[in-house]
Amino acid sequence: MASSVLWRTLGRTKLLPSHSLGRPAGHTEWYRNFWGTSRVFGVAPIKLHMPALSPTMEDGTIISWLKQEGDPVAAGDALCEIETDKATLTMDADDDGVMAKILVPGNTKNVRINALIALMVPEGEDYTQVDIPTETGTPSAAADTPAKAPVPAATEAASSSEFTSMRHVAGGKGHVDLSPAVRYLVDSNSLDPAAIVPSGPHGRLLKGDVLKFLAGDPNAKRQDSVPAATPSPPTPVAAPPPPPPPVTHPVVPPAAAEEDEFVDIPHTSMRRTIAKRLTQSKTTVPHAYSSIDCEMDSVLRLRKKLQGSGVKVSVNDFIIKAVGQALKSVPEVNAQWTGEAVQLLSNVDISVAVATDKGLITPIVTDVPSRGLQNISETVKELAGRARIGKLMPEEYQGGTFSVSNLGMFGISQFSAIINPPQACIMAIGGSRVLVEPAEDGHTTKTVMTVTLCSDSRVVDDALASTFLEDFKENLENPYKAALL
Amino acid sequence: MLSCAARLVRAQIQSKPTACWVVAARGYADVVEETTFTTNEYALHKLDEGPSQSVTVTRDDALKYYRQMQTIRRMETAAGNLYKSKVIRGFCHLYSGQEACAVGMEAALTPDDHVITAYRAHGWTYTRGVPPVNILAELTGRKTGCAKGKGGSMHMYGNNFYGGNGIVGAQVPLGAGIALALKYNGSNNVCVALYGDGAANQGQVFETYNMAKLWDLPCIFVCENNGYGMGTAVERASASTDYYTRGDYVPGLRADGMDVLAVREATRFAAEWCRSGKGPVILEVATYRYSGHSMSDPGTSYRPREEIQEMRKTRDPITGLRERMISANLATAEELKQIDLDVRAEIDKAVEQAKTDPELPVEEMYTDIFVDEPPFKVRGTNPFMYGMSK
Repeated sequence: MASSVLWRTLGRTKLLPSHSLGRPAGHTEWYRNFWGTSRVFGVAPIKLHMPALSPTMEDGTIISWLKQEGDPVAAGDALCEIETDKATLTMDADDDGVMAKILVPGNTKNVRINALIALMVPEGEDYTQVDIPTETGTPSAAADTPAKAPVPAATEAASSSEFTSMRHVAGGKGHVDLSPAVRYLVDSNSLDPAAIVPSGPHGRLLKGDVLKFLAGDPNAKRQDSVPAATPSPPTPVAAPPPPPPPVTHPVVPPAAAEEDEFVDIPHTSMRRTIAKRLTQSKTTVPHAYSSIDCEMDSVLRLRKKLQGSGVKVSVNDFIIKAVGQALKSVPEVNAQWTGEAVQLLSNVDISVAVATDKGLITPIVTDVPSRGLQNISETVKELAGRARIGKLMPEEYQGGTFSVSNLGMFGISQFSAIINPPQACIMAIGGSRVLVEPAEDGHTTKTVMTVTLCSDSRVVDDALASTFLEDFKENLENPYKAALL
Repeated sequence: MLSCAARLVRAQIQSKPTACWVVAARGYADVVEETTFTTNEYALHKLDEGPSQSVTVTRDDALKYYRQMQTIRRMETAAGNLYKSKVIRGFCHLYSGQEACAVGMEAALTPDDHVITAYRAHGWTYTRGVPPVNILAELTGRKTGCAKGKGGSMHMYGNNFYGGNGIVGAQVPLGAGIALALKYNGSNNVCVALYGDGAANQGQVFETYNMAKLWDLPCIFVCENNGYGMGTAVERASASTDYYTRGDYVPGLRADGMDVLAVREATRFAAEWCRSGKGPVILEVATYRYSGHSMSDPGTSYRPREEIQEMRKTRDPITGLRERMISANLATAEELKQIDLDVRAEIDKAVEQAKTDPELPVEEMYTDIFVDEPPFKVRGTNPFMYGMSK
């Protein structure tokens, strides 16, 4: 009797260890069915993985741990705060136990889903004896078989050994399901789909992956498929880096290297608008270019004379006036191309290009032929001043029938400009230069300026442009003619 | 040793002299075979007398209920973890905390009775006879799932069990229809139609009450009142939170849904009522869910965490039954611990299988459309794709 009592007692507490708390009864860790294995192997931990707290979450940030090592945990207690792509949520415990080891500390960003973040032990066990699992990392698998099925490594490096289910194997090289968009990209660029890292579910190749590959992103190529940028949980076994493929890639992740080589200036809305309009103009309007040299001596002489009388006008004002006159004489140039007809405009409004800090803006001088030189000068000065501080009204820079852009003061000899639609032309004014010409008694010098007319050749063809330029040159070289109109 | 000595002493007190020998030889003799407990009061509506408050349970039954509830709890925890590791996608509504409702009701029903419920159906699928591995495989979308992996959480069917219904309150009229079929066919069985406190305000539920009462259908309408309709507390959602009275002319009763024996007794009463042709009855079970409404709901934004922890500590159905069993000597703590570990091992194994089983091949997309049709051509996702329906 006594012996049976003794046997029962012993059996209950020692020889049949599945009775006692915390021993795993599962078939995987069979050796733990023997007493004392916790002293030899450490306590079998309850593994805590990074949860996907929202359906779109790929990785998150562990903000802080609410339970420290050694704290008792009840089912339903909050363990840690996790910041997802949407909100900050808490991760709750499912089982009772004691927090044993925190593998990923607080304030860690970009922890992937299913990464091992902490270990718990069941109640009654010694948490200091917890058995920290070594990372059965798949990055080494990727290194060994880069060509075979690196889809597990492509998906993520952290503790995915438990999740290499059939779907990953099925999604490997044999069954490459390509959507029509992907198929088109692959065919038109003659790519090998097996060389591109898939990031879709079940190892599917997505359009984004192909585009990244085409953009030359080294991370998108399968050969060096271990992205060094993804952090794996700090475990004793470090994944060995893959052997360098034949094409050498920098060991330092390219993203980090590039950051030192350029600076991003984000687009302002003004820049975006300018970009849009210029692109639209250059691509849709057929530009034709004609240049002519104008002698500026008369203008310069007149200008000096006016200066002597106390009137300050610039060469640009003379040019604007000359253009206005020419547009009056050759009205076909003061036109717009519409779908149905060439619209000849009655008013002559000239847009003058002004360079500001934020970009090029063109305030309009309206009805140029009716203005005198002084008036033009004052108007341009005033508009330019307001343009530079950004105080122009929309109607003061939207519209116009002809544009003038002067880069002479920057030393440019000659250039061509882009038409501002819906206008038909833009005149690009270069700087004056002094030419020496042989004459009967020695030489003469003259000041010459090159003017390039860039025109919409649907409206203003080369012949019309030549006529216009001739008239303009005439006007500019004989400034007194301004009094005639 | 000490426990043996203690039992010896207790046996003396119980003045069973032969127990001394029995204790020495077996060590389990003071475990009783049957015992009686007192449950909380039942609230009654248009009923003269309700179920008895003193319930008797045998040891085997108690162990069975314990094991079933523990299985459901572990299975739901495993499903939650699988969802958090993105192996289960879509919707997942967990039953943790409400196990006593499914287990208690199943204890009072027969396999020939019919059950229909809403989307919080995993517990019911289990009690209706589907093994946990098939439930988990269905959630992860594998061939071995109870619906071949084609439906997931919303398509759990079992023996006389009509699932998993996604539309709130839609299953209640269906339940009355099943009851009508049972009555029409002359069987003695009942249909249990479950819905939640949120669905209790749906219009079709009241239309169903009318038809069921008019034709005396053998339908038990069960309102699983867990206090929150998604995130809205019952006080903010319903003008009357006495869901058992909402049937007006339909008699009703309320039972404590965290006490499996109370639920069983109440269901037994209701089933008898229906089987005797007295018409439908409403059974409200006051229960609680620990997790959020579904896996996308953390469950703590509309109620304090302390409330959940409080419920876990004081009114957990599994802990409640365990304490009752130990204090009444229906079982020993070690026995129950052993059950816990066995259940854990079973569910762990089921989880492994659910993660590694094969998925259905694509050809299965075209099958299971009609019950009895010869194979016909089925159009795929575009006009150029076809399959055979087998």
